[in-house]
Amino acid sequence: MRLVLAAAAFALLPLVVKSDFILTILVFSFLLGMLAVGFNLIFGYTGQLSMFHAAAFGISAYATYLSMTHWGTSFWTGMLIASALVLALSVIVGTICFRFRLKEFYFAVVTLAFSEMARLVVLNWNGVTNGTLGIILQEKPNIWLPGQGLVKLEGTLMWYYVSLVALALTVIVCLRLVNSWMGRCFAAIRLNDELGDTLGINVFRYKLAAFVVGNIIAAITGGLYAFYLGSIEPGFLSIDQSLAIVAMVLLGGRGAVAAPVIGALVLTALPHMIHLGAELRSIVYGAILILTILLMPQGIYGTLALLGRRRAV
Amino acid sequence: MGQLIVGQLLNGAIVGTLYGIIALGVTLTFGITGIVNFALGAFMMLGCYMAWYLTDGVGMPYPVAVVGAVAITSLAGLVADQTLFRFTRNNLVNGLLVSIGLIAVMEGAALLIWTSTPKNMEYVWPGVFMVAGLVVPKMKLLVVALLLAVILATYAALTRTWIGRAAYAYAQNPEAAELMGVRTKLLQSGVVVYSTGLAGLGGALYASLYSIDPTLGAVYILKAVEAAILAGIGSVMGSLFGGVLLGVTEGVGSIYLPIAFRDAYGLVFLVAILLFKPAGLFAGRK
Amino acid sequence: MLFEVANLTKRFDGLTAVADLSFSIAHGEIVGVFGPNGSGKTTLLSLIAGMLVPTAGRIVWKDREIQGAKPHDIAAAGVVKTFQNPQLFAELSVFEHLMIAGHLMLKRRLGWRRAATLFNPDTGHAGADLEKRATDVLRLCRLEAARDQAAAGLSYGEEKMLGVAMALMCEPELLLLDEPASGLGQPEIENLEAVLRDLRSHGTTLCVIDHKVGFLGKLADRAISLHHGAKIAEGTPAQVLNDPRVIAAYLGQHHA
Repeated sequence: MRLVLAAAAFALLPLVVKSDFILTILVFSFLLGMLAVGFNLIFGYTGQLSMFHAAAFGISAYATYLSMTHWGTSFWTGMLIASALVLALSVIVGTICFRFRLKEFYFAVVTLAFSEMARLVVLNWNGVTNGTLGIILQEKPNIWLPGQGLVKLEGTLMWYYVSLVALALTVIVCLRLVNSWMGRCFAAIRLNDELGDTLGINVFRYKLAAFVVGNIIAAITGGLYAFYLGSIEPGFLSIDQSLAIVAMVLLGGRGAVAAPVIGALVLTALPHMIHLGAELRSIVYGAILILTILLMPQGIYGTLALLGRRRAV
Repeated sequence: MGQLIVGQLLNGAIVGTLYGIIALGVTLTFGITGIVNFALGAFMMLGCYMAWYLTDGVGMPYPVAVVGAVAITSLAGLVADQTLFRFTRNNLVNGLLVSIGLIAVMEGAALLIWTSTPKNMEYVWPGVFMVAGLVVPKMKLLVVALLLAVILATYAALTRTWIGRAAYAYAQNPEAAELMGVRTKLLQSGVVVYSTGLAGLGGALYASLYSIDPTLGAVYILKAVEAAILAGIGSVMGSLFGGVLLGVTEGVGSIYLPIAFRDAYGLVFLVAILLFKPAGLFAGRK
Repeated sequence: MLFEVANLTKRFDGLTAVADLSFSIAHGEIVGVFGPNGSGKTTLLSLIAGMLVPTAGRIVWKDREIQGAKPHDIAAAGVVKTFQNPQLFAELSVFEHLMIAGHLMLKRRLGWRRAATLFNPDTGHAGADLEKRATDVLRLCRLEAARDQAAAGLSYGEEKMLGVAMALMCEPELLLLDEPASGLGQPEIENLEAVLRDLRSHGTTLCVIDHKVGFLGKLADRAISLHHGAKIAEGTPAQVLNDPRVIAAYLGQHHA
């Protein structure tokens, strides 16, 4: 219910807020929020600290562009192809990690290693990815609008609604998953995988399922994000990008499907609201991360929910 | 070609010892507090800048500056331990993220104070040795010798002294060690601070060889973690061997393969080791 | 024969936990396996449930060899075990535990069609069936009062009963119980006995291990005594209890 209200409020917001600046921040927040919600399937619900997320995001951004330029596909077909590629890669990486029962730190390190390898490939495959410089994307995707037919996806307002819808769909899919029997398998794996195993839950299969679904959401976000931003660079696949997603989830909260969106909003908006140099921004970011973990381990959503419950009692 | 290989072997060994000293901190911290302190790279960076500042800025002789840099880094480590790491003992994810937050804070502060322009120290000890037609800077040999001495001393301390045995006992079985009178909190803080001190030493020595910038820690901590895992976490001498192995592979590998992929060797090693020999190459040793 | 263990051996670094053990269980039986602490009982159950891989020997379930199979496959085949020290999903409620444990039920009813329930939760009445079954199991195990309590706050007796309840949700044909009565008070033991008798009356085969004989004596059709991982006696509980080797094994432990 609260989610529906929040979605409605955001849908109506552009009627009141005309500032391009604020709407732009919100578009980025929605897209990064989508990324964080998908990642939280793997991290918050299944308990696996994956560092592959930036790779899924970045690989898909490049693949979408490459399929458009080399095969002349539309943006949406390109995104589909990119998602299929990320699906295949996730199955390979996930199978390797989970078959060998890598857990906790070792899982994080190996997924990080694969992510770094992907970044090195992107960084050094100059002929295809243009290396460090990255790629400027001038094209905009087409979308079909009722009454207007096929139009170019341009301008902050259109992107605002497209990203809001994408986020809403992501939240709906994740809610469905988390509240289904599969979500119960995720919880069993997070809380006691040995017990889950003896109860007949195929731990490998559902770890892989969470990993793959989370990465596909990242892949879809990657294409959208790159084409909204108008450029792609190897930094998309960096460790910092993965960590930024982790920070959003921690700050927003791990325990509810949409909670990471709060983290994405705060961490995207804050640096723009208060004007800080890159150095101070890094300090503030670090401080937020540390303070969240030490003082508010349930994140903003979890802490508010706790306070609300206390008041009710 | 032969000379090139020997030269790269030597360079690899030098860089590898630096990886090794940070890896030693990673291994010790993980063994005793159950977390991976990624901020050790940032402490190394702090050590670099302190050594540079104390010599070039304050005008101390370099050896004194190194001692000062280690002291300051350890003090910073103590502050970080008491304000942050104390609350994340044995909580791997939280420890990881707190240390990452700390990196952001430390790097940001370093960029503010010293800017991103690299700094170079005056040559501390110019001159080279000629060994079989190879040019080896004297300072590089000294740095390697010092780092080796510290790692060996740590190994000796861990195997020969009461404190070392207590630490080892604790890593094996915390509850039993506590019952036997090991003062857990002191031991944990001691190890966290010692590890930051090692990183500070690595940094202070690094500053005499290469130019320094605020982000250099990121590369080193990644390599150190790779080296520690390569050897098997918990192995003191293993972290040295892991570091050198990694450094040498990178050095020799860049003769034959594009230099761009130098950073990938460690990653490939890492994945292979974790999949096929998860206890590390030196499993079974201390 | 429903279930058979043949020449089963498990060694850990020179220590032989289970030594050349052979026995079988017929449909509908309650078999008690007992022996002093360290006699290899828990290792035996872990081997059967797939949590350990045997060094040698065969485990045959319905004419299929299952040694070395994955725990979840063995559970799916109908062999389910409980833990001596209750294993739980600490932060979840009792009812949520049972819903998780109902996974196999859904899998058996729907097969791959369960993917459809992700989009339409009502597919094949799966959700409703599962909840009904969970409620029934709660009643049978007398855990109704704790239905919405977090597992972390349960008493030890309730925790153990929840372990049995979760195993029941898996609809086992052979239920392996690891010292279900240890640490329980008399009323709780009686409750447990009632549950186990009810299970037998519905055709579930049971294999119960315990270190003390008392609880098993009343319940088991047949008893097997282990000592140092090997079978030293087999027969009715009374026969085994009076077997001189069994008495010696227990006496030996008391003297040690």
